[in-house]
Amino acid sequence: MIGFLSKRLAQSLLVMLIMSALVFVAVFAIGNPVDVLIDPRATQAEINAAMKALGLDQPFWMQYKTFLANLVKGDVGNSWVYNESALKIMMQRLPATLELAISALVIAIVVGIPLGAYAGLKPDTPSARFIMGSSILSFSVPAFWVGLMLIVIFGVKLHWLPIAGRGETISVFGIPFSFLTLDGLSHLILPAFTLSLSRIGMVIRLVRSGVREVLGQDYIKFARAKGLKESRIVRVHVLKNALIPVITVMGADFAGLLTFAVVTETVFAWPGMGKLIIDSIAMLDRPMIVAYLMVTVLIFILVNFIVDVLYAVIDPRISLTGAKS
Amino acid sequence: MSALLRVENLHTHVVLKDQTIKAVNGVSFSVAPGEIVGVAGESGSGKTLTGMSIIGLTQSPIKIISGNIQLDGDDLRSASPETLRKLRGQKIAMVFQDPMMTLNPVLRIDVQMMEMINAHEKVSKSEARTRCVTALAKVGIPEPERRLHQYPHELSGGMRQRVAIATAMLLSPKLIIADEPTTALDVTVQAQILKEMQALCKENGTALIWITHDLAVLAQIADRIVIMYDGKIVETGTAKQILLKPKHTYTQSLLASLPKAAPDADKGKHIVTDSAPTLIKLTNVHKTFGKQSGLLGKFAQRLRLTTAPLITDAVIDANIDIKRGEIFALVGESGSGKSTLGRLACGLLQPTGGRVEYNGVESFRPKTQNAKQARLAVQMVFQDPQSSLNPRMRVLDIIGQAPLAHGLVSRANLEDYVSKQLERVGLDISIKDRFPHEFSGGQRQRISIARALAVNPKVLILDEAIASLDVSIQAKILNLLAKLRNELELTYIFISHDLGVVEHISDRVAVMQKGRIVETGPTREIFANPKHIYTQTLLNDVPRIDALNHI
Amino acid sequence: MNPRLSRFAKAYFDDKIALAGFIGVVVLILLAIFAPLIAPQNPYDLAQLTIVDGRLPPGSEGTTGIYYLLGTDEQGRDMLSAILYGLRTSLIVGIVSVMLALVIGGVIGLISGYVGGWVDAFIMRTVDLQLSIPTILVALILLATLGKGIDKIIIALVVAQWAIFVRIARAAVLVEKEKDYIAAAQCQALGRWRILFTQLAPNCVSPLIVMAAISVAGAISLEATLSFLGLGVPITRPSLGLLISNGFEYLLSGRYWISTFPGLALVVVIVCINLVGDRLSDVLNPRLDT
Repeated sequence: MIGFLSKRLAQSLLVMLIMSALVFVAVFAIGNPVDVLIDPRATQAEINAAMKALGLDQPFWMQYKTFLANLVKGDVGNSWVYNESALKIMMQRLPATLELAISALVIAIVVGIPLGAYAGLKPDTPSARFIMGSSILSFSVPAFWVGLMLIVIFGVKLHWLPIAGRGETISVFGIPFSFLTLDGLSHLILPAFTLSLSRIGMVIRLVRSGVREVLGQDYIKFARAKGLKESRIVRVHVLKNALIPVITVMGADFAGLLTFAVVTETVFAWPGMGKLIIDSIAMLDRPMIVAYLMVTVLIFILVNFIVDVLYAVIDPRISLTGAKS
Repeated sequence: MSALLRVENLHTHVVLKDQTIKAVNGVSFSVAPGEIVGVAGESGSGKTLTGMSIIGLTQSPIKIISGNIQLDGDDLRSASPETLRKLRGQKIAMVFQDPMMTLNPVLRIDVQMMEMINAHEKVSKSEARTRCVTALAKVGIPEPERRLHQYPHELSGGMRQRVAIATAMLLSPKLIIADEPTTALDVTVQAQILKEMQALCKENGTALIWITHDLAVLAQIADRIVIMYDGKIVETGTAKQILLKPKHTYTQSLLASLPKAAPDADKGKHIVTDSAPTLIKLTNVHKTFGKQSGLLGKFAQRLRLTTAPLITDAVIDANIDIKRGEIFALVGESGSGKSTLGRLACGLLQPTGGRVEYNGVESFRPKTQNAKQARLAVQMVFQDPQSSLNPRMRVLDIIGQAPLAHGLVSRANLEDYVSKQLERVGLDISIKDRFPHEFSGGQRQRISIARALAVNPKVLILDEAIASLDVSIQAKILNLLAKLRNELELTYIFISHDLGVVEHISDRVAVMQKGRIVETGPTREIFANPKHIYTQTLLNDVPRIDALNHI
Repeated sequence: MNPRLSRFAKAYFDDKIALAGFIGVVVLILLAIFAPLIAPQNPYDLAQLTIVDGRLPPGSEGTTGIYYLLGTDEQGRDMLSAILYGLRTSLIVGIVSVMLALVIGGVIGLISGYVGGWVDAFIMRTVDLQLSIPTILVALILLATLGKGIDKIIIALVVAQWAIFVRIARAAVLVEKEKDYIAAAQCQALGRWRILFTQLAPNCVSPLIVMAAISVAGAISLEATLSFLGLGVPITRPSLGLLISNGFEYLLSGRYWISTFPGLALVVVIVCINLVGDRLSDVLNPRLDT
C-alpha cells in the first residue's frame, strides 16, 4: 500500500510538472496581455514599465523558472484584473463548482444505474427501447441549449424555479453550500440536472452493455444452475460485475464534468470557477487561467487516485500495484 | 430399477427471426439412479441443448417446444419457475465446460459456495462453511480452508473445475449434468478429474450425464452411451456395445475416424531413412519472452512510464534434426512451448540463443541472404481457422497475395494459379471470390493449406491444425495431408496435444514439458516404451477407446 | 454490388429508426450544400436585410414582401435563411475536423500499435496525457490562443479529437496483429508495411468509422458550445451555436424564435448523426459479428 502510494505520488508529480509546462506554453502563447490591460493611448515607456512589473520583459525560460518556483509555493501570482491572489480567488469559487459537479454526478448515478440495469435485463421491452432512445438524445443534445430551454419553461413560463445564482447558502466549516437550504436547493436543481443530462445517458449505456455482457457469461448460467433466486443473481452476480466499468469511466470523466460546468455556469449565472475562467480568457488574465488549470489538474489527479483504490476494492483481480493478473 | 430421469420426445428449437433450427428434434432417453450416461456427438448435434433443456436453463431464442422430462417423480416441464429453481441445486446440478468462466471473478469461493446452501436450506453460517470445506476436500483440493478465502483467479483451471464440481455436489443432488467438463483441461488433469468424479458418483449414488465430443473419455467413465447426430439420438447402448460393436453407421464412422494405433495403420513410415538429409536443424535453441530492458527502459520503469516486462522461458535448450520427408511430431500440454518451437522453426520468432538452420544455413536471421527463400520454404498452418484467414480478403487474394508479391506468378495468370491450388486441396474453384466467413471450419483449414502450398514450400508446420475440427473432419484433413505429402514430397512438423493422432501419423516424436524436450525418438519406440517419467504419465492419462478400463 | 457492402446495408437498414436517421443526415447535407439556392435571402448580405423587419415573429410578411416562415432577428434577418447557412458552417466544421482527426489519429494509432516499443510508448503517453484533459478545455485554451475563425476552430477540434482515434486504432491493431492471419502473412515473407496496410488496416477500420460518426455529432455540439461561449466562429459566418447565442438575450423577453429554431435545427442534426453512429456501432460491432 505504501509502495503504491509513493509510486502514485511520483507519477502525480510528473504529471503536474508536464502539465505546468504545457499550461505555461499555452498561456504564454495567448496574446500580449499588456495590449488588453493598458490604456491604448499609453506611451512606450508606460508599456515597458507595465511589462516589467508583470515580469514580461524576462526571456521565456526565465519566466517559466519563476513561474515554477512560485508554483511550488502555491503561488501563481495575482490576478491582473482583480489584483488579488489568483489561486485564492479560484479557491473561493471552487466549492460552488464542486457542489454543482458532484450533484450532477449523483443525479447521473441515481437515475442512470436503475434505468441502465432495466434496459440490460429486459432489452426487448418497449420501455427498454424508450430508455435507450432517450439516452442517445440525452448525451447528444448540447447542454447549453437544454439549459436555455429549461430556463424558458421552468423559469420564464411556469415561474417554478429560479434561473440564476446560487440562492441562499449555509456555511459549513466556512464553505458555503446551496443544497442545505430550500432556496439554495431550488437554485441547484436546474443547473445540476442540465449538467448531469449527458452523464445520465452515459451511465445508462455503460450499465446496459455491462449487464448484457455479464448475462451471457457462464458464471450466470452456473448461478442459475445452483438454484439461486433471480433477485440474488441480479444483485450480487450481475450488478457487481457490470458496475466496474461505470466506476472507472465516470471517475475518469469527473474532470470533464468539472470543465463542462463552464457551460452550465454561464447559462445559469452560477458563481463557480467556470464563469470566472471564461471571463479571464476574454481578459487574457494569465494567472487566473493558470490557477484554474492547476486546480483542475489537482482535482483530476485526486479523483483518479480515489477511482484506483475503489477499483482495487471492488475487483479482486486488480491489485493496488496496478498489475492485472 | 425405475428410472431417475426420463426424457421423452424432447423438441428444443432455436427460434430466430428468419428461421427455426430444430436443435433437439425428438430425443428420448432415461437415466437410472447412480448411472453414468455419456451423451456424445459432434458440434451442432444438440447434445448441449439437451442438457440445458433438462435443467431448464434454456433462454430466448432457445425454446423447448414439446416433450416430457420427469426427474425423480417431478414433472420438470409443467413445474412452476419457483419449483424448478428449488429443484436446481437440490436434485439436479450442472457443471460447465470452461472452468475459467464458470466462477464469478469478483466473488470469493466461500461466497459462491455458501450461497448455494443458503438458497435452499436454513443453516448457520458456520455449518454451511464446514460443509463447503468437506466438499472441497472430497474433490481433492488441498487446504480447503484457505481456498475458501481466495478468488477464482488465484486458482488453476483444474482447481476451479474441482470447485465447480464440489459446488454442484454440495446438496447431494440425484443427478449432475456435466457439459464437456474436462475439454478445456490438460490430459493429466483430465485423467485425475475423471477418476475423482467417477468415485464421487459411485460413493454418493449420484447419477451423471456426461456430455462430450470425445468418445475416448466416455470409454473411461460411462456405463451407457447415447450417440446424437443432428438433434436426434442415433444409437443407445452400454459403453461396451457402443464402443466395441457399434450398430449405426454414424457411430461406426465416428469410431473409425478416431485415430488408433492399429497395426494396419502403417503407411510407409519407412520412406525416411537415416541417410536422408537434414532440412531443419535446431541447436541449443533458447527462447525467452519479455525483453530485458535497456538503461532507458529501466529509467522509464522507475518513472512507471512502462511496466517491467515479465520474463519467461518458453523454450529451453532445444535440439532437433528434422530430415527431409519425415513427419516429425511435437507433443506436450498447453504451455509446454511446442507452439513457440514451431514458430522458431519457421522464422516467425527469432531465438534468444542458439541456432536455427534451414538447409545448413542460419537463414531466418533478418537481412541474411536467401532469408526470403528460406521463409517461403517453411510454411505454417495454424490452429484456429477463424483467425488464420483475413476476414476482409477474398479467397483469391488470401491465396494469391504472396505468390504475386514474390513474383511466382504474373497477375494475368493469378486466377489459374489459385484455381490449381484450390483443386489440389479438394475445394471448388468457384469459391475464389468469396470471403472466409462463408466457409465451414474444415473448408477454411483447406484454404489455409492451399495458401501455405501456394508458395511452393518444402516443409509444412501444422500447429494443432486439426484440433478445432470435429473428428470426422479431422480424418478427412489428415487424409488430404497424407496425399499432399506424397504428391509434393513435403516434410511435416506436426504439433499436437492429441497423442492418438500423433501415434497414428508421425515417424518421430519429441515430447515437451515446461519448455524442455524431455524425450525424442521414433514414434513406435516412444509409445511402446517411454523412458521419461513425464512421457509415461502423459501416455497413461490419455483416454483410450480400447481401454474401457472401468468395466 | 460488393456482397460485403450489400450484407452491411441490409443489416443497417433492418432498423426503421436507423433508416430515418440516415435519411435525415442525407437531407441535412443536401440542405447545407444547396443553402444558397433554397434560402429566401442571403443572410450575410446586409444589402438584402431590412432593419424595419427586425424581430418579426414566425409567419410574418415583411415590408418588401418576403414571407418570414421562422421570423427575423433584430437586424431583420430571415431566421430560416440564417439557419440554412448556419447548418452549412456547422456541418463543415464538424465533418472536416473529424475527417482530419480520423486520418491523422488513425494512421498514428496503426503505426504505434504495429511498431510497438519506444515509438508506441511515447505516442501512448502523449495520448494519455491529452485524453486526461477534457476536450472542451483543450478547445477553450486553443481558441483563446488562436483567436476566432472557421479554420481556427477546425484546428482546435482536430487537436481536441485526434488522440481518441489513435487509441481506438491502436487497440484494434493490438487485437488484430495477434491473429494468425498476420503470422501467416509474415510466414509468407510479405513486407511489414504491406502487411500493415493491406492486411491489418482494413480490419481496424470498423471501430474507427463508428467513432468518426459519433465524433461528428460531438464536434458539431462542441463547436456550438464554444460559439455560445463566444469563442468559436466569427460573427460574419454564424454557425447554429452562434445563432442560439445571439438569440439568448431575447429569450427572456418572450422572443423565443430567435434562439429556439436554430436550437431545434442543431438538435435534429445531432440526433440524426447519432442515430446513424449508434446503428453503425451495432452493425459493425465485431463482438456480434459471427
